[in-house]
Amino acid sequence: MNRNYTILLGLVILAALFPVVSSSYITVGLTVLMFTGWASSWNILGGWAGQLSLGHATFVGLGAYFVAIGASQFELAPWWSILIGMAVAGIMALLWGKLTFGLHGPYFTLSTIAIAEMVRLVAINEGWLTGGATGVFIDYLPEPFGIDLFDKTVQYYLMLAYAAITLLITIFISTRKFGYQLKAVRDNEEAAMAAGINPTAIKLKAFVLSAMLTALGGGIYGIFLSFIEPHIIFNLLLSVQIALTVIIGGRGTIWGPAVGAAVLIISGEVFRTVFEQANMLVYGILILVVILAMPKGIVGEYAHRLIRRKYANRA
Amino acid sequence: MLELISFFQNLSNGILIGAVYALIGVGLTLVFGVMRTINFAHGDFVVLGMYFAVLLNSLLGWDPYLTLILAVPLGFIVGAGIQKYLLSRVIDEKHESMLLATLGISLVIANLLLLTFGGEPQSVHVSYSTSTLQVSDVRISVVLLLAGLATVVVITLLYLLLNKTEIGRAIRATAENRLGAELVGVNTKRIQAIVFGLGMCLAVTAGVSLIPLLFASPVTTGALFTLKAFVVTVLGGLGNIGAAIMGGLVLGVVEVLGASYLDSAYRDAYGLLVFLLVLLLKPEGLFGKTVKRV
Repeated sequence: MNRNYTILLGLVILAALFPVVSSSYITVGLTVLMFTGWASSWNILGGWAGQLSLGHATFVGLGAYFVAIGASQFELAPWWSILIGMAVAGIMALLWGKLTFGLHGPYFTLSTIAIAEMVRLVAINEGWLTGGATGVFIDYLPEPFGIDLFDKTVQYYLMLAYAAITLLITIFISTRKFGYQLKAVRDNEEAAMAAGINPTAIKLKAFVLSAMLTALGGGIYGIFLSFIEPHIIFNLLLSVQIALTVIIGGRGTIWGPAVGAAVLIISGEVFRTVFEQANMLVYGILILVVILAMPKGIVGEYAHRLIRRKYANRA
Repeated sequence: MLELISFFQNLSNGILIGAVYALIGVGLTLVFGVMRTINFAHGDFVVLGMYFAVLLNSLLGWDPYLTLILAVPLGFIVGAGIQKYLLSRVIDEKHESMLLATLGISLVIANLLLLTFGGEPQSVHVSYSTSTLQVSDVRISVVLLLAGLATVVVITLLYLLLNKTEIGRAIRATAENRLGAELVGVNTKRIQAIVFGLGMCLAVTAGVSLIPLLFASPVTTGALFTLKAFVVTVLGGLGNIGAAIMGGLVLGVVEVLGASYLDSAYRDAYGLLVFLLVLLLKPEGLFGKTVKRV
């Protein structure tokens, strides 16, 4: 029916075999999958709906905090706390969007930074709510069917499931009316309105979906970290990292986020010994290269060339 | 009476720190006026100025203000170079390309500083760093006062440049209507490079005058200043220089008063809150005249 579903199935099988082949790079694989998931979630709002958000770390943090506080204070199983975290993220995105979707272009981007920074400051300062600036430690997790959730391989498969879900939803949206509505709003809001689309409603839907999926990944990330510090998880740089992953890979494409995640995380890993903490240098250089040489992103540019070749052959 | 003294104490601190914010904001708003885009690397330019002062101080023992002799021309050359060789290639595309390109420059600068100087926060210790001036009962820190004075001098020079020279006229023309300026023979590419260079000069000057006061660390300080510059410019109305000065003063006073009368842990949040409110309720800025969406 759709070639993309077949590609996804193939990729999932390959990724599922990865821990069997190479157990030493399992954390790298997990990180690639995590960023694939976050980037695909961001892509729904930032790519398909064209709203450049630099505040998505907020939803990562929400997801992670609900898991950590649920586990450490209420002995709540992570699947329940992740669901609660996703619901809260969704409600928050709804309010956030209602407040700021009147702003356009750079003004919207600035407002996302401002809100995300305020959330970070609250998380650092309100100790009773978050465990304070020192962070929360997850010391207890249940063992469903005897599976140890602290095990890295288990966490890898959780992330694989997460990345697969976000990609599945992206492919699904791309063929649906909602996907076309998103693109219409991105390309020209006035024209979309003339065609009977309510741009704000569409953007709100995209934001809520994007936020909930980001929080889902944040929850699994919380399990992986098992120690959560507010100034790290709500950091502006994490939001920037997620956004740049999509833009380098290709905004508004299905496979762009995954390609971006693979390229950035793997090159970050290769240069880790050279750059040490200055790991974001790779992001800076690559975004400049992409902006100057291939403004549609790696996947976008590739697809563009394929189409051109197709038409050239036909003519 | 004691409360009144402490109020004036806070107010004077707020105004002086606000003056430096104004200096940072004016650079950002000047660039916005001509390029119609936001420069995400502006805060990192400030930090570059700080590290330049740290470097010359540790190598040659120069006073931070002495380093301005080198920092300002270098800042201009580097800024104009960035615009001419990098940003001019994307300036005619969607505004987002420019925003993302400056975000990339910001990451490159921050991480190169991290590689060269390490992550430890650094500062310059000057002999006058703890001295104060007493005006009746209000104490004013000499370092803050110098920073405020530097702002006044720089902004006066900028005002003269923009209003009394031929280049200034071309800059104002380009900001008002780029196509129109081109039609009457202004080389707008050259103006854009000059303006970006000027913006960097202003940022570097702010950085140098802040270094006896604050610690610089490569990654976090840059992002913080970029954010403050946004707050200042949006408070005043993007692209409006006079308003950016007012925006800077408002931010400085709001931060200092908020920190001393409400909760000091939220110092950075007060500015952000005011920023968000202005953005939502009055997007043309507190002191802006016309609504111009980019």
